Amino acid sequence: MANAGNEVVFKKETVAKLLTRSFKEDKTKVSSDAGDAVAEMLKVFVEEATRRAVKQADSEDCDTVDIEHFEKILPQLLLDF
Amino acid sequence: MDEDETQKQRLKAAVHYTVGRLCQHIAADCEKQITKQTIAAIAETASRQCDIFAKDLEAFARHAKRHTVTVDDVKLTARRTTALYNYIQQKSEELALNNQELKRKRNAAKSKSKDMEAEENELED
Repeated sequence: MANAGNEVVFKKETVAKLLTRSFKEDKTKVSSDAGDAVAEMLKVFVEEATRRAVKQADSEDCDTVDIEHFEKILPQLLLDF
Repeated sequence: MDEDETQKQRLKAAVHYTVGRLCQHIAADCEKQITKQTIAAIAETASRQCDIFAKDLEAFARHAKRHTVTVDDVKLTARRTTALYNYIQQKSEELALNNQELKRKRNAAKSKSKDMEAEENELED
């Protein structure tokens, strides 16, 4: 299943729906390019979160990334975004 | 409001699915295991982060007296970390180029099929 060419991305539709649900006004829309850019932001966010958690697990000599590893890196992650 | 709830659940599931795949991919890359609980937590955090993005984006668009969120608005949300900002800047340029390419190809294909149609019509006459 792990193909070098296959990239995991957020579906444009999903991103668009997620955004419009959170908008306060009905009139607000998202341009197609902006949708792609937000999908990219989300992907980076998830990647960053995972990689930092992995690093944390590594520094604690654990082979499994546990929720506590994620919890430890969460504050800085949110500040960086 | 059941329909609304169903859509909400569906969206959460979609996010969870993609996040799960991303996490597994990265963990495997780093030769580590990752628990389902951790993936769920990351998915939940990502959803909330998206909510924050949405509210920021709406505010930026409104500030610029627009109703449509554009790429410039998205770039603003990346302003806190220089590396992130540069990355999104680069990505959006790539996307713009890709879209231009696609448009050009589509137009070329359109004019080709128009020419072929014209030829066929001539033959029929």
